[in-house]
Amino acid sequence: MALQDISLRECWLTPRVTQLKQIYFRAMPEICVERPRLITRYSLEHGLFGRARISILEKARMYRYVLENRTPVVSHTCGYEKGMKRFEFVEDSLFAGSTTSKFKGVPLYPEFLALSLWPELWTMQSRASNPFQITEAEVKALNEEIFPHWIENTILELARKRALNGKPACRASEHNLLEFKLLQWLVFFLVSKPECISHTIPDFSKAIGVGLRAMIEEATARAAATSDSSQKEFYQAVAEVLEGVVSYSRRLADQAEAMARTEPDPVRKRELLDLAQVHRRVPEHPAQSFREGLTTVWICWTAIHLENPNIGMSLGRLDRVLWPLYRHDVETGVITVQDAVDLICCLWLKIGDHVPMIPETGEQLFGGTGSNQAITIGGVDRDGNDAVNDLTYVMLRATELMRLRDPNLNARYFPGVNSKGYLRRLCEVNITTGATPALHNDRAVIKALTSKHDTPEQARDYGVIGCVEPGSNGRSYGSSASILLNLTSALELTLFNGRHRHTGPDRLISFETGDPARFASFADFRTAFRKQTRWLIEQAVRLNELLGRVHQDFYPTPILSAFFEGPMDSGRDLIQGGAVINASAATIIGLADVADSLSALRRVVFQDKRVSFATLLDALQKDFEGHEALHKRLIDPEKTPKYGNDDADADATVTWIVDMLDQAFGEKVNYRGGRYRVGYWTMTNHAGFGRLMGATPNGRKAHENFTSGITPVSGVTPCLTKALNSVARQPAQCLSNGVALNLKYTPESGDPERMLDNFVASVEGYFDDRDGRTEGGMEIQFNVTTHDTFVDAVAHPENYPELLVRVSGYTAYFKDLNPQMQKEIIDRTEYLLSTGSMVFYKPFPIQQARD
Amino acid sequence: MSFWPRVASWRPFRYLWPEQLGHRIARQGCRQLSDQLSGAATDAFVDLLLVGMQLFLRLWKPYRRNIKGFRGRYLFRTVDDRVRSGVVFDNERIMRHPNGIEDWDVRVSFKNVPALRSFLFSRDQDILSSLLRNEVEIDGNLNYVYKFAFMARDLGKELGLV
Repeated sequence: MALQDISLRECWLTPRVTQLKQIYFRAMPEICVERPRLITRYSLEHGLFGRARISILEKARMYRYVLENRTPVVSHTCGYEKGMKRFEFVEDSLFAGSTTSKFKGVPLYPEFLALSLWPELWTMQSRASNPFQITEAEVKALNEEIFPHWIENTILELARKRALNGKPACRASEHNLLEFKLLQWLVFFLVSKPECISHTIPDFSKAIGVGLRAMIEEATARAAATSDSSQKEFYQAVAEVLEGVVSYSRRLADQAEAMARTEPDPVRKRELLDLAQVHRRVPEHPAQSFREGLTTVWICWTAIHLENPNIGMSLGRLDRVLWPLYRHDVETGVITVQDAVDLICCLWLKIGDHVPMIPETGEQLFGGTGSNQAITIGGVDRDGNDAVNDLTYVMLRATELMRLRDPNLNARYFPGVNSKGYLRRLCEVNITTGATPALHNDRAVIKALTSKHDTPEQARDYGVIGCVEPGSNGRSYGSSASILLNLTSALELTLFNGRHRHTGPDRLISFETGDPARFASFADFRTAFRKQTRWLIEQAVRLNELLGRVHQDFYPTPILSAFFEGPMDSGRDLIQGGAVINASAATIIGLADVADSLSALRRVVFQDKRVSFATLLDALQKDFEGHEALHKRLIDPEKTPKYGNDDADADATVTWIVDMLDQAFGEKVNYRGGRYRVGYWTMTNHAGFGRLMGATPNGRKAHENFTSGITPVSGVTPCLTKALNSVARQPAQCLSNGVALNLKYTPESGDPERMLDNFVASVEGYFDDRDGRTEGGMEIQFNVTTHDTFVDAVAHPENYPELLVRVSGYTAYFKDLNPQMQKEIIDRTEYLLSTGSMVFYKPFPIQQARD
Repeated sequence: MSFWPRVASWRPFRYLWPEQLGHRIARQGCRQLSDQLSGAATDAFVDLLLVGMQLFLRLWKPYRRNIKGFRGRYLFRTVDDRVRSGVVFDNERIMRHPNGIEDWDVRVSFKNVPALRSFLFSRDQDILSSLLRNEVEIDGNLNYVYKFAFMARDLGKELGLV
């Protein structure tokens, strides 16, 4: 390590990056119709609509066609600002190319959920939440030329038809489509496959090291060598798409050269010629410089997003992958550290050049989300050695200076292997940015992954996917967001004997497990809860499996497969099980609320017999109106056990739940031959699901937010140390799809060094495994912004365009969140590090109107 | 001499062109629908909406492009079946079935008429919003509903209400 100052305080934003950042924050997202237009045209010309299956080679030819025909944008020149007013600029980034044809684009994937935007085409420009710019010509193109062809061909519709087995919808019984009904009701679970699989990490080291030409030659040779027709087709498909990627980069070079010919400014002319030179070389050939390595990553990344929706696709351990090129260039004087920071800042802006398509109500569930492109730094290497290097600190500095939502930076820390100086720097960046990076405890994560049969080497080489999910870099096609299960619905089905208040008392949703008022003991209730939970899991998994098989027939992914370990050896696409690790995964919403509800039932109803079950149900139905004393008891941690207070019984309830869920999901084998894993991160779903659900036995009132991730319920855990102990006690092997522990620390301006000391101590304490007596917490993420700032940002969002927050997993701009989610963040338990105690604030009233 | 004054002076006469005339007639025919979109919605709302679509599809070419090559059979009903109406689109043609149809591609069941109106027209909501409130239930291909909702809002735009 050559750095004298790991904080890199002498590195700043250059005028170039400052200007690019200003444009970035000024520009509103614009719908891009280029991709859907090209794939629709190709599908029509080649008869791909209405088929029973689309082969990987046909798909590959389609992607190559798109890559060869999409606009090669070297430098954007215009965008739209708030109020959808056009403005002009010159984008002089150090990288060419873009995810869409727009400066900040919304790519559309009509084969997935883009059609849900159809009703909004005329109004999305002026909607209250995160509007998208679209021209009248683009509306007409989508309405008349593009969307109509996909009506029968979206993944969800193809799956629905398959479930009906040829029967018309009007002749089908509800039983045929129960899983689809459950999905439509939205309160039980969500599955992400109608929208994407994405959520994985490709490996760029081969593309950087040998170049795409060598990869094409390898694929061609393998195709020639095999007699297996499906393998041959796979290898041919890989060669096709990689030729497309090379072609796109060459066209960028052509465009840069053409621009240089007419450029009057000699400095800009030189830059354009340099860009052209880089794109003539990579990604076709091995990268020879740090900049070329970054360009290879970037161009391959745009190609991956051409094929895979921009949701949760993650870049992995870039500080490992690019370290040799960085070291060479710095050591030989080709670049300075400032140059490297400059390059990383430009890359960060490019990575954030797109936002996911989200319809209006989606904003209520996932409001303010970016594409959640996680980048992982630090930790240990495959052999367990310290993997933190100078580039780790360069990336941290770029993140600190840029404060962007995307990419989502995640830092690994292995206690005892990585230095304390490194941990201190991670905490320092959290204080400066207020929200990033998220911190992951290598020891606990590696234990979780190896418990699911990843080898130690694979586990040590994990990267973070999407929000917080760990997966072996370039090996695990883990589909980490397959299922988002609302656990409180399982509780609801238990409380109301197979029925749900959202769907009405007359509709039996699952099956009857008995009137809880007649249960003799808490054990009876727990048994019923387990049965309802397992039933819910069964339905969610069945739908996920059906959708997975539809993906296999219609949505092979040759581009992504080319950048993975496994497919090239087996000759199988990722979707057919070609990866080394083939898990699927679920995440659970409402853990703390359900755990505290179970604890409350046991203590208040069955042990202390303060109220009868019938009275409790009546209180829930009436949202505690007329049951104020009971409500007071239920929310009082002194009277009712609460997770997050180092209370053995309450924490054991959480352990029982995570163990039960791990077993129930772990029994399931997916369509690729892997098993299901479980995690506890909720994005904004704890707010979205909360809005739909009635009061719960832990004293949460109807339509209030649930608690995020694995975090204890807000306001009932007065002591930071106890809260951390409760979470750290949970068994890592049951949390293999990652967790999000959301904490809020009060910024203390009086003695910043002391605050930093305390910050570091809190993380060390949480990660500590007490010599094997506990697991050590797996993940922790922070919001370090004052309560007053958040409150003011609600009233004056225009004054806080860059206010970054951690939601539950990803980072977001506070102004982009929906009012429910803003309230949830403001109301989160806040701790003063100097005392370790909770700071009390009155619950924030929800804001009805925005903008 | 500039062309601008001349073009401007011709503008009122454009309303005499057949297409514009068709648009005006269709708008006139949608008065009741306009009233129900901006005021209280009655049980007649669904039929008025479908009549409005029929008028514009027949009289206004740009609106007709919405169903070029499109075939779809819709049934709209309240959960108590008090309101029940069907519509079939068949490549630029529209056929209303005031008593509903049995062989639908998509069935939209709604709690009451205001719920359907909100489902299709509410300014800051989309279809999922009504589903969130459990006011509307859809059987069949959801994409047909997305398309219909666009057509409804496109009609609202022609009426100056979106």
